[in-house]
Amino acid sequence: MANKPAPKPAPPKSTASDEKRTFEPKYNWMNKTRQWGVRVRPGKAGLKLGDLNVGIYGETPTQWADQSRNPRGAVPRRGMPPVGYSIRDKAGLWADCAADLYEEAIQRRWAPATDVPWDTIEPLPDDVEHAVCQVCTELVGYANVDIETITGWQHQMSYGYHEVKQFLATASFDAARHYECFRKRALANGGGLGLEGPGMVNRMILESRGGWTEAVVYLLVMRGAFTMTLYKYLGRHAHNDAERFIYAHALADKARHVTYALDHLKYAVAHADDALQVVRTLIAIGEGGLTRDLRDPVLPEALAVIFAGGVAKAAGRGMAVYGELMGDFVQTYLGYCQWLGVPRDPARLPPPLNEYANPNNAERRVSPQPKPSPNSFANAAGAANPKNAGA
Amino acid sequence: MAAFPSVDWFDEVRNVFNADDRYRGAGGGYCNCVAGFKIVDRVFVLTFDGFECSAAAEGDDGSLDDVDFYLEMPGEEWRDMVANIAANGGADLHHTLNTLDLDRADGLATSRHGDQVREDLFFRYNQTLQFFFDASALVETEFA
Repeated sequence: MANKPAPKPAPPKSTASDEKRTFEPKYNWMNKTRQWGVRVRPGKAGLKLGDLNVGIYGETPTQWADQSRNPRGAVPRRGMPPVGYSIRDKAGLWADCAADLYEEAIQRRWAPATDVPWDTIEPLPDDVEHAVCQVCTELVGYANVDIETITGWQHQMSYGYHEVKQFLATASFDAARHYECFRKRALANGGGLGLEGPGMVNRMILESRGGWTEAVVYLLVMRGAFTMTLYKYLGRHAHNDAERFIYAHALADKARHVTYALDHLKYAVAHADDALQVVRTLIAIGEGGLTRDLRDPVLPEALAVIFAGGVAKAAGRGMAVYGELMGDFVQTYLGYCQWLGVPRDPARLPPPLNEYANPNNAERRVSPQPKPSPNSFANAAGAANPKNAGA
Repeated sequence: MAAFPSVDWFDEVRNVFNADDRYRGAGGGYCNCVAGFKIVDRVFVLTFDGFECSAAAEGDDGSLDDVDFYLEMPGEEWRDMVANIAANGGADLHHTLNTLDLDRADGLATSRHGDQVREDLFFRYNQTLQFFFDASALVETEFA
């Protein structure tokens, strides 16, 4: 220890007037530090979380033995009962980018109540409004699962890796913001919430018990890549500046979550025995759950109506764009797998993912024409209005 | 009047972008990346550092090896985008970077290193990049 704390001040001598006092300060705590004299300086972008990782304060061992809430670098207090964190291996949560992502999330925050130009929303044909509200309903469900999953694991993570815990706090707040803004959009234009999503992926994510890394694969890589692709296409087909703002900003938030996921999985694969094989297995399991959700017709139908500007062209043009969306999602997903070192053979993806994986299979990609389902609104009133069609 | 594309043009846009605090709030702001722009046979590299675009330089094809991601589309489409921004005070729905990315079979943003985390910076900072190009509405532009 290069720097010692200043000598503690001597307690004042007691006087007659102090005799009634029962408390005599000793200042013993002033000697309790593991490293003193630290002077971290702000840089061009301010004093960032990652800037604090100097000396012992930047030590992040591969396993965090302390079972208390002792902040990293502080002197542990003897006799503290263990809290019982289950995630104490660095490989179980770490990502080198977590501190930077935390700063980015804080500095790029936005407020749906006041930043979204809600007054740009104008009445849409009934079928389009139904479709927008249905998609928002599903996105609200996604956001809710984000919140529950992240917070459900966060309290099990050791304090020694506070960068990750802090970043995940922003991620759960991002998800709360998404929950808020999609609910607001559904209720802002004469519509309302629609039908709850099928929830197979939600259940798979929420019920995963194998560890945070498993949840990351399901929630942030598979669902994350899918949600990012949805946001891109919904932004492309936004009906007004409010929707455009929402999807563009939700996309940036979600991209941040996916970045953490990829960086964490890269770290886990590099530092934990068998992690590569585990991730490979999780991906195969996850694809099965994902495809069960994708076979539900409600979301594809609603998206097709939005992409086509109404039900009139949803089966043709709308589903063709939906096919493009799925193709983009699968390509993104396969790219992530490749980058993580777990390349997937597109031909061996479970259907319908394999159909979207082959760009030469375009005919087949658009083949699942929406058929009126029990929950379908294909007969909803309101003709397509080209004015409201996406570009 | 600055000619598009040129370093002078990007510098003028930088000056507008860096001076406008509105680009720092509501989901914009903090941005760290090096982005390439391939415009016909010319290459430009922009450095975003914290709250500002700190540098614009002209490079060569090899410069694209080092950037986090780069945007490439035919010269006509670059002109259309810049002209649309000038006419509307910002990109309309058909000319946003997101739309242009989705409208192209191979996308608008790509990289040569294949690093997904670096490539995804395009999406993490998409709004900032959009703000940057929207700032060009205030730059008197002639097309080279």
